[in-house]
Amino acid sequence: MIHTFYREGNSLLHSLDPRAKIVGTVAATAAVLLFNDPVVTGMLFLIFLLLARLLGDISVRESLSFLKPLVPLLVFTIIIWILIYSPRWMGFIFGVSFGIRLLSLGLITFTLLATTRQRELIQGFVRMGLPYEFGLTISIGLRYIPTLYLLTRNIMDAQKSRGWEVEKGNLIVRVRKMTAVLIPLLVASLKTAHELSIALESRAFGAGKKVTFLNDLEMHGRDYAAVLLSLFALGLALYARYVLDFGHFALYG
Amino acid sequence: MIEVRNLYYTYTGESYILKGIDFEMGKEIVALVGPNGSGKTTFAKHLNGLLKPTKGSVKVDGLDTGEHTVAELSRKVGYVFQNPEHMFFEENVFKEVAFGPKNLGKSEDEIRKLVSWALKSVGLEGYEERSPYSLSGGEKQRLAIACVLAMKPKYLVLDEPTTGLDAKAERSVIETIRSLREDGHGILLITHDMDLVLELAERVVLLQDGRKVFDGPVEEFFSRALEPFGLERPELLRIAERFGIGFVRSSEELLGELGDAG
Repeated sequence: MIHTFYREGNSLLHSLDPRAKIVGTVAATAAVLLFNDPVVTGMLFLIFLLLARLLGDISVRESLSFLKPLVPLLVFTIIIWILIYSPRWMGFIFGVSFGIRLLSLGLITFTLLATTRQRELIQGFVRMGLPYEFGLTISIGLRYIPTLYLLTRNIMDAQKSRGWEVEKGNLIVRVRKMTAVLIPLLVASLKTAHELSIALESRAFGAGKKVTFLNDLEMHGRDYAAVLLSLFALGLALYARYVLDFGHFALYG
Repeated sequence: MIEVRNLYYTYTGESYILKGIDFEMGKEIVALVGPNGSGKTTFAKHLNGLLKPTKGSVKVDGLDTGEHTVAELSRKVGYVFQNPEHMFFEENVFKEVAFGPKNLGKSEDEIRKLVSWALKSVGLEGYEERSPYSLSGGEKQRLAIACVLAMKPKYLVLDEPTTGLDAKAERSVIETIRSLREDGHGILLITHDMDLVLELAERVVLLQDGRKVFDGPVEEFFSRALEPFGLERPELLRIAERFGIGFVRSSEELLGELGDAG
């Protein structure tokens, strides 16, 4: 079953303005990409794990279980680095380092999604300059994924009841068999889209130039503090990386 | 004979949707009623193997649904889904009805016979070349029944076949169900429409919260208090009561009784 990553809670991260969290996410992502020393990326990963636990009330177990699907990618990354880099032991070290980077990026995104409602996140982007229509399109798209999933299941059940078996036959036969699901799905989706557009228009979508929000976002003192703190931390990371030349190996040289 | 023994089912592995249902049906019209979320559709999907029991067993003429695919069971139990448009994908009515028998591996000759028989049974002869999506609501519903019927199942599950239809279309679906019953099919009718239950059913099964709370004749069903289950007693029965006439099934019957009395 498809579900959103959002977890109900009232931690600090839950209560921050989405724009502050978006800035924080971007800063954290940038910081991760600065370093390629496995010790440093490893430390950063642990710090983010700890921050998610302390500030976002996301247990370490939850974070790790979210990252589990990335493990094959991690293994693949390490193998590729061993194969393409010489000496091989250095390739291994870079592989581990880049793998941890990957996990960190996943973790940062997960932390954002787990502590921010989809609606708030999109509102945050819209208030940061994304056109409102884009934001609405994204949220409608996301909203309909589970609906379409259920619809597909229902149509497949209906066709199975007519003796339809997708598991039988070779690839071409199977693809042809999928028309029995795709056509009803297409018709139902188009109908839904049409009804939705009527519903939007009957609620005066596009009538005013400026869109107002029912629950408008407001940056408070701690939101500004969070933004400043994230930027300060990023500044520190940049300083460490470029001035102190810390935590980075030259790859080609 | 469909035999359900102590059926338990859970989607999530946590709470049970169906909690120990025993059920039997033969060649009869059984109405399956109950409030939304009581497990009607979940239960019905077990009869042709779309869902497999978590605990307990479902047997159709001796076949255990746990050991057979939906395609195999579709020869025995036809399931007509609530929204007929969810199954239409062919360019014309003939091909649409032929899809089921084709899947069962019937010869072309047999298929032609089955299709014309199925279309005749639901009163859609002469519609072979029409596009399924161009039909009216009642015609679509009857076409959906024909699609399933063409596979010659002994039992039919109809999920809210009259919902959203106007009076005339509803009548045509009711007549179709009646004639199928006369032809010897066992029919399980999932519905919220108590008038339909009163008119058509021979037996009523009431589910609530995944349990069977009533299973018996229609007359006994309507003599019980239905409000706790979110169901309404048909107006017709109230009128009949006012006139001091007992149980009637249709307004014609009521008028007949009144004529005799007067």
